[in-house]
Amino acid sequence: MGSTDQMCNLVLFLAILHSVLAVSLDDDNSAESYSLLRFKSGLVDPVGALDNWSPRAHMCSWNGLTCSPNQTHVLGINLSSSELSGSISHELWHLTSLEILDLSSNSLVGSIPSELGKLQNLQMLLLYGNSLSGKIPEEIGLLKNLQVLRIGDNLLSGEITPSIGNLTQLRVLGLAYCQFNGSIPSGIGNLKHLVFLDLQNNSLDGHIPEEIHGCEELQNLAASNNKLEGDIPASMGVLRSLQILNLANNSLSGSIPVELGQISNLKYLSLLGNRLSGQIPSQLNQLVQLETLDLSVNNFSGAISLFNAQMKNLRTLVLSGNDLTGNIPSNFCLSNSSKLQQLFLARNSLSGKFQLDLLNCRSLQQLDLSDNNFEGGLPSGLEKLEHLTDLQLNNNSFSGNLPSEIGNMSNLESLILFDNMITGRLPPEIGKLQRLSTIYLYDNQMSGGIPRELTNCTSLTKIDFFGNHFTGSIPATIGKLKNLNVLQLRQNDLSGPIPPSLGYCKRLQIMALADNKISGTLPATFRFLTELNKITLYNNSFEGPLPASLFLLKNLNIINFSHNRFSGSISPLLGSNSLTALDLTNNSFSGPIPSALTQSRNLSRLRLAHNHLSGEIPSEFGSLTKLNFFDLSFNNLTGEVPPQLSNCKKIQHFLLNNNQLTGTMPPWLGRLEELGELDFSFNEFHGNIPAELGNCSGLLKLSLQSNKLSGNIPQEIGNLTSLNVLNLQRNNLSGLIPSTIQECKKIFELRLSENFLTGSIPPELGKLTELQVILDLSENSLSGEIPSSLGNLMKLERLNLSLNHLQGEVPFSLTKLTSLDMLNLSNNDLQGQLPSTFSRFPLSSFLGNDKLCGPPLVSCLESAGQDNKGLSNTAVVGIIVAIVFTSTLICLVMLYMIVRIWYNWRKVSISSMGGGGTEQRREEEKWEYGNKEKRRNGEYWKVNSMASVPSQDKQNPSTCIFHFKMDAEITGNTLV
Amino acid sequence: MAHLYLLSIFLSLLLSISPSLSSNSEGNALHALRSRLSDPTNALQSWDPALVNPCTWFHVVCDSNNHVTRLDLGNSNISGTLGPELGQLKHLKYLELYRNDIGGKIPKELGNLKNLVSMDMYGNRFEGEIPKSFAKLKSLIFLRLNNNKLSGSIPRELTTLKELKVFDVSNNDLCGTIPVDGPFASFPMESFVNNRLNGPELKGLVPYDFGC
Repeated sequence: MGSTDQMCNLVLFLAILHSVLAVSLDDDNSAESYSLLRFKSGLVDPVGALDNWSPRAHMCSWNGLTCSPNQTHVLGINLSSSELSGSISHELWHLTSLEILDLSSNSLVGSIPSELGKLQNLQMLLLYGNSLSGKIPEEIGLLKNLQVLRIGDNLLSGEITPSIGNLTQLRVLGLAYCQFNGSIPSGIGNLKHLVFLDLQNNSLDGHIPEEIHGCEELQNLAASNNKLEGDIPASMGVLRSLQILNLANNSLSGSIPVELGQISNLKYLSLLGNRLSGQIPSQLNQLVQLETLDLSVNNFSGAISLFNAQMKNLRTLVLSGNDLTGNIPSNFCLSNSSKLQQLFLARNSLSGKFQLDLLNCRSLQQLDLSDNNFEGGLPSGLEKLEHLTDLQLNNNSFSGNLPSEIGNMSNLESLILFDNMITGRLPPEIGKLQRLSTIYLYDNQMSGGIPRELTNCTSLTKIDFFGNHFTGSIPATIGKLKNLNVLQLRQNDLSGPIPPSLGYCKRLQIMALADNKISGTLPATFRFLTELNKITLYNNSFEGPLPASLFLLKNLNIINFSHNRFSGSISPLLGSNSLTALDLTNNSFSGPIPSALTQSRNLSRLRLAHNHLSGEIPSEFGSLTKLNFFDLSFNNLTGEVPPQLSNCKKIQHFLLNNNQLTGTMPPWLGRLEELGELDFSFNEFHGNIPAELGNCSGLLKLSLQSNKLSGNIPQEIGNLTSLNVLNLQRNNLSGLIPSTIQECKKIFELRLSENFLTGSIPPELGKLTELQVILDLSENSLSGEIPSSLGNLMKLERLNLSLNHLQGEVPFSLTKLTSLDMLNLSNNDLQGQLPSTFSRFPLSSFLGNDKLCGPPLVSCLESAGQDNKGLSNTAVVGIIVAIVFTSTLICLVMLYMIVRIWYNWRKVSISSMGGGGTEQRREEEKWEYGNKEKRRNGEYWKVNSMASVPSQDKQNPSTCIFHFKMDAEITGNTLV
Repeated sequence: MAHLYLLSIFLSLLLSISPSLSSNSEGNALHALRSRLSDPTNALQSWDPALVNPCTWFHVVCDSNNHVTRLDLGNSNISGTLGPELGQLKHLKYLELYRNDIGGKIPKELGNLKNLVSMDMYGNRFEGEIPKSFAKLKSLIFLRLNNNKLSGSIPRELTTLKELKVFDVSNNDLCGTIPVDGPFASFPMESFVNNRLNGPELKGLVPYDFGC
């Protein structure tokens, strides 16, 4: 032991000797200057802050140093904000007289040397604002004279060393903006003189130590943005000097201890963003010095029991984002004395009418009551809040008119009233609000015209009146709003033309006039809207050609002019090369598609459907590699699909249907991996369906209807395992239905009708158990028997196998198709007896099968005895007539009455179902469904009320009714 | 510092209020649904709430007035729960959510879907009771809730659904007796198997929720 000490001493002696010898040639031979030079050598000094730290000058003349009066010892080092980097030398411990070390706001790295613990005279250690890492050395606890320790805003980590509790002289402790974890050491309570404690923005967890009440002189406690949990210690109530308490954004729980009401000097209290619950204690009202109280984003419940009338110095009260109920208490503010400037109560469950006593809060500048359940009218005295700049009442149920006195709130800058039930006109007095910048009235029920006076509010930057019932035209003077950025008038009843002066709102970036009745042409003044970014005019009555000068609008991003009557060329819209979405659906644009469109390389949505565009698809489209929605359907396009489109790898919706496109289906379609919807229907494509399509494994909808496609349906169709809808109707396809189709497990609509398909129906179709909308194999040349597996299609609502050469009996398993609403087996070679439950389908479902019998066709007994079906039906009528005549008069009357009831009831059928279908309903489906007249057509079957017929039979099992029903059916169907 | 903090709160409050450029209630309802669901195969990737309406989203079908009429999310590998917002799709006719991994209760708000023709929720993990509010689905023809974990009794209110033609609650954990009125007179027994049901209702003899 002793020898170790001796050894240490020897080493120490040698070290000192060495250092003394090393500097012996210099003017100053002290150990201090030597260690300072060692300190310098560890630093990088790009701006030369340490240039005069030279052995040739006395150290007391060096920059940043303070020496003792006798010039022998360094007392202070201040190198704050000197752009120094490098690390702190452990040699500094030689400066034994050092009282102040300030290296703050540099770029120092490395750790805090533990040797600093030897600076016994150190009073102030400022290392904040560097990139120091590692832990706080435990030795820091040895600095008995330390009064200020500020080492925050570094990369320091680990736990806060408990030895910090030894620094009993400490007044300021700043550890914020580091990566400290673990809990706050309980020894902190020993720091009797601590005034300022900043622990913000670390990862501290655990409870706030109960011992904190020992910090009797604490004035500022900030521990926000940590992971502190548990209760707020009630003992904090004894911290009578506390002025600032910030515990925001932790995980504190429990309720606010009533003792906090005793911290009589508190000016700032924030508990924002914790998990605190229960009632807000009314004892907080005792905090008469309090200026800011933020309890937002917690789980507080119950009524608001805080009164500005008591907390007389309150400037800001934030209770947003809790579950507070009831109304704002009356007498909340006392007029004349209130200093409250900000009151935020948003996102609670507050209710009741607008609290009139709020009008006593005369200093209010910002009032936010949004997202509550307030109701009733807006008070006419609102203008008493003459300092109000922001009024935010959105997402409530306020009703009634907007009071005209609002025009007297001359400081108002934002008026946010959206999502209420406000009715009536926008008062013309609004025009007096010269500072008004934002007016959001969307989602209300306001009506009348937009007052011309609104255009006097020349500070306006944002107008949003979406979803009201404003009528009349846009004020002709709107061009006075030179600062307008956003004009959102969508979904109103505005009419008339766009006033040319709108073009003078040169700052306009967003113009949304969609869903109105605005008419006329676009004014040529729009060429001045050079900042315009987004323009949506869809669903109006605009017409005529576009002004050619729109080509000057180079910043356009999004254009939606769909559902108008614009005509002429689309070229004027293509001046911008930064378009991302262009939607001109359903207009009368004509001429070719300009290849200039392809200058917007970021174009992702291009919708030009339902116009009169002609010519070919420009091959330059191949450069639109971001294209996602590509819809050119319902035009007069000709020619082939350009092979360059194979570069558009992002296409998800590829819609070219209803044009006059020719050529073959390109095999490269199989390389469009994102493809979800492919509709080439109603064109003149010929050749085979490319097998490569099977690679589009994400394809949901494939429609190639009404082309001239021939050859087989490729086996690879089975690779489309996501497919929902497959429509190959009306082509020249031949060969067998591939059994691989069974792999399309998600298919719910399958149409292969009107082709030349042969062979038998693959029994594997019975595995497509999600088939729902229709299975249509009609008008082919299919033969063989109907596979009994089709009985597994439990969800199928329509089955059409008509106009084929199907043979054999109708499998009994089809009776399991309980969802079936429409069945057509007509015009085949089916035979035998129909399952009895099929009597619920109309006759036309089965006609044209000579050997088929049983209801609703003639009974099998009769069909066996008679050759002529027509005659046998006549015989049925005869028999029934005979029965009727041999019945008694009473029975006849009864039958008649019951039939009348049944017939009336039958009219109210389920014909209203089946609306689902596709976006653009095919004409033929219109009469098939949704048409209560149920017109007959030879190809399709009658909509029937089979949903009810069986159960009615069950409930009224009278044979009389059954017979008469037959009669009605036959006489009703003049086909017989 | 304290004031700076407060200012930043206020600014963020203001920022949360933006013009209503994307306001569409059906799209918002579907987007709210998406936020409740986990979607590992990106079936809902195309559901962009910034679009004017949801009619170009995959798995969504609209009518000519841009109202959502079909929601086809069967076999889509999605999990999570449903929320009340689905009840806002007033024009919906087909709600196809079958064979997924959706759990939780069936929201009673689905009873607001007055135009609904078909509700296919079979093959999920739905629990709790069949909402009584389904009695308001006057257009409903197909109701398939089989292969879930539903409990409680079959609500008697469903006997008023005159159009109901297919009703399948097999393979659940339902209890009580099976109604016999209205459309229930014609449903096959297979629709009720593998529950804790006590056979058809015997009116006046035992309460319908006998054994629950």
